[in-house]
Amino acid sequence: MAPVINTHDPERQETVSRRTVLFGGAVGTLFLCISGRLYQLQIADHEKYLDLAQENQFNRRILTPLRGEIIDRFGNVLASNRKNFRILLIPEQARDIEATLNKISDIVPVGDKTRARILREIRRRGAFTPVEIEDNLSWGDFSRVNYELPHLPGVLPDVGETRDYPLGPASAFVIGYVGAITESDLAQQETDADRTLLRQPGFKVGREGLERTYEKELRGQAGRMNVKINAHGRVIEEFADEATPPVQGKTLTLTIDAELQEAAMKELEGESAAAVVMDIVTGDILVLASTPAFNPNDFNVGIDPALWKEFNESPYKPLLNKPLSGVYPPGSTFKIVSAIAAQRAGFKPSETAHCSGKLWYGQRYFHCWKRGGHGTVDMKGAIKHSCDVYFYEIAKQIDVDIIADTARKLGLGEAYELGVSGQKRGVVPDRAWKRQYFAGEPENRSWFQGETLSVIIGQGYVTSTPLQLCVMTARAATGRAVRPRLVRAVGDLVLPAPNAPPIDLDPEHFKIVHEGMNAVTNEWGTAARSRLEDPNWQLAGKTGTSQVYQITAEDRARGLTDPEELPWERRDHALFVCYMPYENPRYACSVVVEHGIGGARMAGPKAREIMRAVAKKDPASRPTVDPSSLAQIRGRNLREG
Amino acid sequence: MASLILPGRRGGLRDKLSRLHWPLIIVLTMLGGAGVITLYSVAEGAWQPWAMRHGLRYLAALALLIVMGLVAMRYWMTLAYPVYFAALAALAATPFIGETVMGAKRWIELGGLQFQPSEAMKIGIVMGLARYYHGLRAEQVSHILYLIPPALMIGAPVGLVFIQPDLGTALLLAATGVIVVFVAGLSWRLGVIGLFGAAAAAYGAYRFELLKPYQVERILTFLNPDRDPLGQGYHLLQSKIALGSGGLDGKGFMQGTQSQLKFLPEMQTDFIFTIFGEEFGFVGAVGLLLLYLSVILMGLSVALSAKSHFARLAVIGVTATFSLYILINTGMVMGLAPVVGVPLPLVSYGGTVMVTIMAGFGLVMSAHIHKDHDVLRSSDLL
Repeated sequence: MAPVINTHDPERQETVSRRTVLFGGAVGTLFLCISGRLYQLQIADHEKYLDLAQENQFNRRILTPLRGEIIDRFGNVLASNRKNFRILLIPEQARDIEATLNKISDIVPVGDKTRARILREIRRRGAFTPVEIEDNLSWGDFSRVNYELPHLPGVLPDVGETRDYPLGPASAFVIGYVGAITESDLAQQETDADRTLLRQPGFKVGREGLERTYEKELRGQAGRMNVKINAHGRVIEEFADEATPPVQGKTLTLTIDAELQEAAMKELEGESAAAVVMDIVTGDILVLASTPAFNPNDFNVGIDPALWKEFNESPYKPLLNKPLSGVYPPGSTFKIVSAIAAQRAGFKPSETAHCSGKLWYGQRYFHCWKRGGHGTVDMKGAIKHSCDVYFYEIAKQIDVDIIADTARKLGLGEAYELGVSGQKRGVVPDRAWKRQYFAGEPENRSWFQGETLSVIIGQGYVTSTPLQLCVMTARAATGRAVRPRLVRAVGDLVLPAPNAPPIDLDPEHFKIVHEGMNAVTNEWGTAARSRLEDPNWQLAGKTGTSQVYQITAEDRARGLTDPEELPWERRDHALFVCYMPYENPRYACSVVVEHGIGGARMAGPKAREIMRAVAKKDPASRPTVDPSSLAQIRGRNLREG
Repeated sequence: MASLILPGRRGGLRDKLSRLHWPLIIVLTMLGGAGVITLYSVAEGAWQPWAMRHGLRYLAALALLIVMGLVAMRYWMTLAYPVYFAALAALAATPFIGETVMGAKRWIELGGLQFQPSEAMKIGIVMGLARYYHGLRAEQVSHILYLIPPALMIGAPVGLVFIQPDLGTALLLAATGVIVVFVAGLSWRLGVIGLFGAAAAAYGAYRFELLKPYQVERILTFLNPDRDPLGQGYHLLQSKIALGSGGLDGKGFMQGTQSQLKFLPEMQTDFIFTIFGEEFGFVGAVGLLLLYLSVILMGLSVALSAKSHFARLAVIGVTATFSLYILINTGMVMGLAPVVGVPLPLVSYGGTVMVTIMAGFGLVMSAHIHKDHDVLRSSDLL
């Protein structure tokens, strides 16, 4: 190409110069626009964007409080918290949740149900809230997850706290257990702060027993801390100095004696049974045993549905809190009530009756437990030998309302404020009760005297819980309206022992009961085998056998006379109530062995062994733990740690 | 080459060195320095991985600039078409021998060096068009026949870059070419018609789905940032938060919360102006813009004072490319232009763009040193 000649073309030169200046002007104008935009963003709207940047940067974190401990009367731990190694997932950071869970499955299997739960929680809580994948990992698995962490985006290893019940099944019914949050828990919370706390991964609330009743006190107060986060939600900086630390929930001090509780559980092992031991003076419940029992530590980590089903279907009712929620006809233990009621109705203890083994009344025979009869007995003898006919004779003439009133004054038919729900009241039948109960059946509304014959030996409509029987024994032993309690102190606040005013009954009427009960164990009565040899701890008791199934004439015709040949669930319940020492009562005890056939044979010896352990330790004579000193010690440890 | 050892002679090396455009070098170095500082901050106070290399690259590119500046303008004119067509050939070959990075073929390997033909074309198109208009008389510029070669010269590389696909660079090339044609003296009437034609072409491209879905997405997001808060719009919003929260005097060096906490994407490249604005505030950002503006004005003044037509158009072309980079990048991070992936020259991290820009200013330097040359007069290479 030939070089161009016309280099100095003035017209061309001038055009370029003009256009260059024009271009320069255009660029300058655009630069002004850019600067104007900068002014708008950085000066005019500065505040707005500053707020947005702050919002980006800071995040409030909830600091989960430690749940309050539950301890027994001497400071032994019944419920505390232990480290819980767990893995959380921050959905927003995990690019592929499915793939991440698959990788974790190589270390800790993540089942389909868990996956479904995780996905459900993500939907509910949003992509930014951590969701628990698995908890209660072994240290080994936890370390392996930590080691693999670079390949597990969005996975957050975390050391949380979980509830620990060192006594396991032994304390199951006293304390209850905690469980994971449900939608209805969230709905019940009063404040947003509470809801936020409950949404923390793995947070648990009390589900049963004291854990549930004292949820508010045990939960503690959440702390707050501002943290600086980056765009991925990762915490960059914690402002611990300005944080409000969480406050651990209050310690619950119980009246229970853990050692005796375990001893009682051991004594009842193998039976479907309940035992209650009370301090008669203070009303403190020392033992509240129920067998068989579940392990609350299993429930804590989520209940295995198969186990739950098994528990629900078991005839031994391992989920039933038998001392408080099990209702049984009191059987002959009710004769304590009957003896006092009889004196109120004017019968003298010295009056005698002849027992031939059965009594005709109305249209049928009423049998004494002893086929051959007891011969001639007075009131003490009737208690000692548990003669039914003696009491039938009284029942023919007594008003049932006097029996009912006496029973109520001795503590039956009442539910006590223990902090454990599901307590049953049982039935103390009288005329008013019957009118109401049979409101729909006019022909049955009035009381028939024949029914009094059943009630007076603790059968028929009358039912009670093992706790009520223990209270009845305590009241009969002291003549005072002893009230049971389970919680000694909430936090530093020691609760006063409930008042035990004298019962509005003639103290003279109690004497024959005391003598009779003493005779039961110590004068070759029905429970001579349950005697305690130590003269300082003379035990007075009363047996009871409550009928579950009446052996019929047909059964007898078939040759079935021995209750041991009956199927387990048709056998009689075995009961025993007692107190000691006879002279200056301090402890009362009741034992019920479901379908244990005979009070003297099955319940008495167990009660004796439990009381032997109580006598050996004599917990009432030992100083109890001081809750306020406890808080101080813990506070110091916390600061030093 | 005799001049290399004959000091003092007019047009000799020492003479040329004494005529270097020092203000330009100083301002360019300040810009490169701003890049080093910002990259140091982006790396949370570390020379690695960006700041150190950026500084070293700048120094190497500055050496290239000076060497190119010492070469006389008439050699550049001789090289104009060869450079243009070589770049065009490389661009044409890219789809076949190029390496795929992030779904686009933009790079080819040449003698062990990675090389982006579209970058070379930014210089090539400027030189090619300047060379073409150097040979035209004033009355020929707006003649329809003489418009066909520049239309092809612009259209071919723009088309090739567009199908890579690299919308940002294609637009940049097209705009640069159009500016050179306009400055060369295109009549206003044809200019307006051309603009309408471009608008029609853009609509056609959208209409007939020539744009990749992500490109359409970016433009739509630009038009309405709220339609996609966690995608493109999210980045834009975070960028605006960063700038806005910087305020008048900024959060201070290495104190930008938005950047330090990784709320911004591509901080070392496309969004570096945001970091700078967050940490140094309105004062710093406007200061940086003023540095850029002064470079542009120096370029234009070199263009005005150069004697040869080729030199003037080439310098304007380079300055135009430079200006477009700045305007698109800053406009993009402030929500005034779509997010098209255009870096901020000399501040953003990235070797290729640095070389392109500094090579362009090598031409500017040459035009300045040889401003009295009218190209036809013979001259030594150096």
